Amino acid sequence: MILSTVRIEKRETDRPIEYDFPGWLKMRKLREVAVAGVGLTRFDSYDGEKGRPYKDFYELGNEAIRQALSAAEMFWPEIQAAFCGSVYCGTASGHQTIARLGLTGIPIVNVENACSSGSSAFRLAYQSVGAELCDIAIAVGFEKMPRGFIASTAWPEWQRKMGFNVQPADYALETVRYMEEFGVTIEDISMVTVKNRRNGALNPLARFRTPVKIDDVLSSRMIAKPMRLLHACPLADGGAAVILCSRKRLKSKSRAVTVAAAVLTSGTYGHAKGGGSVRVHTPSNVEISAQQAWDESGYGPRDMDVVQVYDTMASSELWDLENMGFCGKGEAPRLLREGAFDIGGKLPVNTDGGLMSRGHPLGATALAQIIEIYKQIRGEAGPRQVPGAMVGLAHVMGAGSNSGVVILKR
Amino acid sequence: MWADSVNREGGPRLIGSRCLECREIFFPSRNDGFCTHCQAENFEEIQLSSNGKIYSYTIVMQRPPIYYRGDVPYAIGYVELPEGVRVETLFSTSDFEQLRIGLDVELVIERLHEDEEGNEVLTYKFRPVVR
Repeated sequence: MILSTVRIEKRETDRPIEYDFPGWLKMRKLREVAVAGVGLTRFDSYDGEKGRPYKDFYELGNEAIRQALSAAEMFWPEIQAAFCGSVYCGTASGHQTIARLGLTGIPIVNVENACSSGSSAFRLAYQSVGAELCDIAIAVGFEKMPRGFIASTAWPEWQRKMGFNVQPADYALETVRYMEEFGVTIEDISMVTVKNRRNGALNPLARFRTPVKIDDVLSSRMIAKPMRLLHACPLADGGAAVILCSRKRLKSKSRAVTVAAAVLTSGTYGHAKGGGSVRVHTPSNVEISAQQAWDESGYGPRDMDVVQVYDTMASSELWDLENMGFCGKGEAPRLLREGAFDIGGKLPVNTDGGLMSRGHPLGATALAQIIEIYKQIRGEAGPRQVPGAMVGLAHVMGAGSNSGVVILKR
Repeated sequence: MWADSVNREGGPRLIGSRCLECREIFFPSRNDGFCTHCQAENFEEIQLSSNGKIYSYTIVMQRPPIYYRGDVPYAIGYVELPEGVRVETLFSTSDFEQLRIGLDVELVIERLHEDEEGNEVLTYKFRPVVR
């Protein structure tokens, strides 16, 4: 491993401090890792009510794994390691899922990393194959979501009792600052929902497949001012799976997709969303993870043909694009208005409808993003295909905080 | 978490910690004695200013499923104190619409909710300064 010393520029400090985080690793060069096959269930409410089928998390995970095996032309005993992302499914949920495929004695690791669990599982599978610990590994994500506001326990108990642990409210606090600092309007933010729901209408696996108008967004119920119901991604249940292998173990080598980067970072001191220190400024988690992904892949923002970013709330799509370097701070709303992020625009974003249309089963979400990139660069995205897409990026955030970036290329 | 009390001149104050090495200020106080900024282990307890400005705010319109048992809607946000620290807080106001970035606010100790035995549970909040 090469240690990288990172100097962080700080403003307004009375005692400049040079940061040296030896924990910021430059990844050792790994061998080439290919995507052998993917599987994705429709994201929906599988609660058995109103004519909807009831499915438990292990059934959803199982369904996705079997699809991925079939696409990869593999059978379960060939898989040598499994990494299973979920948040609300309890102890050993990956084992429960895999038990229904047949236990083969392989290492199964359950990955809880909030909304970025799926991306974290993907990265572990990638590293296992890339570091030649095994030749074939699977990343699985599944979730049965509780109803209502996500009641995150990523806050100390006294803060939960004070009502701080409400995810839309946390994003609202960041949105209010974003609007103030860059003159962004609630109409700008609402356009993210409009675009993503338009894309979602082209995705048969999305929970919501009807487009919405800006007036629908602006007249929906207020949940945490200024955020309304249609600024928030809906919850959903679902499963997703991605099989990774060495190039040699690919059954079909035509249009092979390989992993160019898989990065995971967490927060840094001085960058709690709005709390804590005023005088210490460090790059955000997203900025750090993007930089690591560019370093690891050799690509830059201009090289991406298609991008999936984390639209858990409509506003987060805008500042995510800015923080990852796709445009300057405060520029995303204008580019969105001009159609730059549409399918057919300069940089198509959330082509499958994003979290806003798909819904958000925490463990499966990041893998669904990665699967959309895979389909796009394989040319298998149907009516939402970005012509000629060869390289794409998926970015997810998670409470903690976490930031996961995956770049796939053909 | 705060120094009261009712009879104290100048009203209640939040209690924080200042790192003796890097001078960073923390709220709540660092009773684990470890600076997350410079890794030093020596702190002094300080009383934070009771007045600050709103850095950001939101009004929560829907009852969270668990933990929070106070009134709904409720307003939360960050208040920036002159010492250079932002504190996440509830806001005490009958008029949510008056909340905005930069508004002058002051510390109050108020009821959060009643517990199962009917005891009043108190918390700190900030309320707009009346001019």
